[in-house]
Parts: sequence; structure tokens; C-alpha cells
Amino acid sequence: MNSGIDLQGSFVQTLQDFGLPSGLAKAIWLPLPMLLMIIGATVGVLVVVWLERKISAAAQQRIGPEYAGPLGVLQPVADGIKLVFKEDVIPAKADPWLFTIGPILVVIPVFLSYLIVPFGQNLVVTDLNIGIFIWISLSSIAPIGLLMAGYASNNKYALLGGLRAAAQSISYEIPLALSVLAIVMMSNSLSTIDIVNQQAGYGILGWNIWRQPVGFIIFWIAALAECERLPFDLPEAEEELVAGYQTEYAGMKFALFYLGSYVNLVLSALVFAVLYLGGWEFFIPLDRLAEWIGVADTTPWLQVLTASLGIIMTIVKAYFLVFIAILLRWTVPRVRIDQLLDLGWKFLLPVSLANLLITAALKLSFPIAFGG
Amino acid sequence: MFKILKQVQEYAQESWQAAKYIGQGLSVTFDHMQRRPITVQYPYEKLVPSERYRGRIHYEFDKCIACEVCVRVCPINLPVVDWEFDKTAKKKKLNHYSIDFGVCIFCGNCVEYCPTNCLSMTEEYELASYDRHELNYDSVALGRLPYKVTQDPMVTPLKEFGYLPKGVMEPHDLPVGAQRAGKRPEEILAELEAAKPKAEATTEG
Repeated sequence: MNSGIDLQGSFVQTLQDFGLPSGLAKAIWLPLPMLLMIIGATVGVLVVVWLERKISAAAQQRIGPEYAGPLGVLQPVADGIKLVFKEDVIPAKADPWLFTIGPILVVIPVFLSYLIVPFGQNLVVTDLNIGIFIWISLSSIAPIGLLMAGYASNNKYALLGGLRAAAQSISYEIPLALSVLAIVMMSNSLSTIDIVNQQAGYGILGWNIWRQPVGFIIFWIAALAECERLPFDLPEAEEELVAGYQTEYAGMKFALFYLGSYVNLVLSALVFAVLYLGGWEFFIPLDRLAEWIGVADTTPWLQVLTASLGIIMTIVKAYFLVFIAILLRWTVPRVRIDQLLDLGWKFLLPVSLANLLITAALKLSFPIAFGG
Repeated sequence: MFKILKQVQEYAQESWQAAKYIGQGLSVTFDHMQRRPITVQYPYEKLVPSERYRGRIHYEFDKCIACEVCVRVCPINLPVVDWEFDKTAKKKKLNHYSIDFGVCIFCGNCVEYCPTNCLSMTEEYELASYDRHELNYDSVALGRLPYKVTQDPMVTPLKEFGYLPKGVMEPHDLPVGAQRAGKRPEEILAELEAAKPKAEATTEG
């Protein structure tokens, strides 16, 4: 099977044709996808913030941002610029070092996790062989940052918020990892590319959502809890804790938290799309369609078409999940901290364990359908 | 053994029910997305206040007899009536009259009790100012009539809930000439006027 467009290969090849050594050519290539990823993630956040405000407004029969740009699309940009120019206050009795490192520690792992999000066969920053595992391990760094921020603020609300965030992240990490493990078991690989390829070939019928309906729901609940989205947003529950660990933050540091939480939401949606909704795959298997029509795999226009369709499909799936998350936000009331931990430890954990066992059993008994 | 099976079954049922309720909630939220916004885009759209709206008080200096009833019925004795006794005319002469709307609670008692009807309530509610002392209206300020929402070219007037036809919940996209349920005050007045000569004729006859 042809692997589609290989941008890195062609770029490095072109530079080598100009007479550069291959090491230098690769070094020139390296920063490009990283830069693109950072820009893409930030723009994605702007879009999500706008969507969140517009959809929230629609769900409440309001209009939402309207005057900053057409339909208010520039509103998040205006908010961001405002935050950049705000005074950077460190409270007098706070620990300045921890206070500053906290938000950085929250944001960097989230951006790093974008390394493994694939938009096509070769459209990924790096195809690590530990793949999806790096996302799980990086996302458990964030609670340390949250705890740091909450502790360093020298504020009881911030401390409580930080503790809650840490408790929540740690307890929902486990069902998340277990439901990912079931997927990994089916595709025999941790690599996100392999996970998508295992779902390919049958269009919408091949996606993991049909083979892992329970894991799908568990993953989404746990991902919402990881992102501190509304049914589980009690680390920053404004009615009880002002703003949780963000209470003492202002300006750029607050913007980092804000950015981090939304980047995390987009990232979770992207990973979710990759794991359960077939990543960049279209609803119908395109390569088979091309075969039927009689177009070769290597035709340039077909490759460009499938590559761009792949990027669009990944983003569409991710934003569909973001939409569901926003809709859930205005549907479900916030749970209490004990209910949250109950749900995590007493419901999601046993159910995800059972799911893992059943998947293993099915894999042994139906190796064709469950990736033996 | 059966007990534990039953427990598992109940637990599963409860989980299923919870999921069903969340699904129902989601469908309600989703349905709200395609409804028209009910918000009033304030500086560009304004609601027409109801006839019984108790806004800023209007005052006619020439009608006032300085009886101070308004002061007595006011919960906080707010109106300031500055008069002196004119010995030659043997009458009270009114010098100044003022009401501080920063303190007024718009209860309308003064309007209710004024013997000469020189006080009345308007539909004006935009009293914001940069200094609270500007809210202390003297007789000249009290004598000004507010702009009507319906006559302001900048503003799209929207009908308030009480003015909407029966069963209509929101004022946007009303058909032209849509009337509220019941008669309007001017219609009632016209009916009363029409009935008057007959009544006089019957009393005379």
C-alpha cells in the first residue's frame, strides 16, 4: 500500500539535491513541523474559545460575541491580547519561583503531547514507538504543576483547588489508561499511526467505536475529567473556590493556564478521534474507491486530495467531540468531590478493567475482528 | 448468589437510566441551539415599558400648591419643597422643588396622593450619571419629558411581555399590527367617551 504524501522525505531530498549533507537537511526540516504544531495548537485554541462562547450562547438562547470581527471570531484574539498586556502580579506572600513554574509545567506537557497526533500517514511530527503512552505519561505531569500553583499562591481556595485537581487527575488517569490499553491490545502497537491503520479499510464500519463502545464512553468521561470540563470542573468551581488554583493568577500566567486547559481539550478530542473514530480515515474507504474507479495510488492529485481530506477529517472529528463537550457543559450539573471520586474509582475503574478483560477474551476468540 | 446477581442487575439498570437521562438532557440543550435568541440587544433594541411602569417622576411646577402631601406620604420624606408664605396674596409661594433619584425607591406614593396631579410617573429608566449628585433633580429637570422608545430613530422598539398577543413568548419578528389580548387604554377611553352622551341623556330624562 502506498503511504501517501511524505513531506519530510521530499523536503530532505530537495535540500540534498542542492548539495547539502543529509544531516543538515534533516536539521533544517526539524523545527518546521514543531513550529507548525505550536501555531496550529494555538489557533485551535482560539477557534475552540470562540466555539465555546458561541455554542454556549446558542444553548442559552443568547447571541454571544458579535462585534469583534465577523460573528465575533476575533473575540478570543482580543481577550488574548488583553491578557498579554495585563500587569503580571505575584502576591506578596506567594512563593515566586513555584508560582511562576506552575503554569509553565501545566502548559509544556500538553504542547509536547501534540508530537504524536497524526493527521495522515506521514503527517505527524514524530511517530514514536511508545506513541499513545507518551500522552498518558505527559498528562500526569500537569497535576504537579497544578499542585505547585495551588500551593505557591498562599491562598486557601487555590490550595484546595490544586489538591482537588491533583486528586481528580490521578484518579481518572487509571480508567483512561486502561481504556487506551484495550485499544492498544487490539492494534498490537502503541504507535498512533498503527492504531489508525488498524481501523482503516472498511470506512466508518472499521472504526474502534464499534469494537470498543464501553471504552469509548469511559475514555470520554475520563478525558473530560482530565481537562476539568464542566461536569468535573470542581478544581475551579467558581461557586465554592473562586477560581481554584487560578485564583491568584493574572495576566500572562493566567493566560497560560487558560491556554493549557483549552489545548488539553483539543488534544483530548484529537486523541479520541485517533483512538476511536479512525483518525484521518474518511467515512468510506477512499483507497478502495480509487481502485474501483481505476485511479492509481500514486496519482499526485489523489495523494493531495486524500492528505487534505485526512487533515480535514481529523479536525472535523475532533471539533465534533469538542462540540459534544460544550453541549455536555450546559446539560449536566457539576458533581461533588466525593461523587467524582466514587465515579472514578468505583464505577469507571472496574468497568474499564472488565472492558479490558472482555477485549482480551474477544481477541483470543475472534482474532480476525479484534486484531489477533 | 442470586442476591449478587440482582445487585448487579440493579446497578446496571441505574447506570442505564442515568445515561438515558443525560441523553434526554443533551437533546433538550441541542434543541435550544436552534431557537432564536430572546435577548434584547440593548442600545440598539429597547423594550417598550408597560403603561404602569414606575420610572422617573415627572413634575409640573405650575400645578403644585406646596401642600407637602408628597413629603408626608414618602417613606423617607424625600421631596424637598421650598416655599414661603406670601403675606400680600395670603398664599404659599413655591420657590423650589426637588427629588433625589439616587435615594428615591420609585414607590409612587407621592404620585398617588398628589391632590393636583402635578406628579406623575414616566417610562424613563436610564438615569445613569457619573456623579450621584446629578441624580438630584430640580423642578426644571423634573419637568422634562422622556424620549419615547418608539420615536427614537436609533432604537428598534420591542414589545414587552405584557404587550404581546396571546401565546406569543418573544417580541422579535412579530407580524405588523399584532395586538395584545384585551383592549388598549385608548380603546377603553373611546368606548367610555361614546357611552357618555347616552348616560347624560338618561339622567336628564
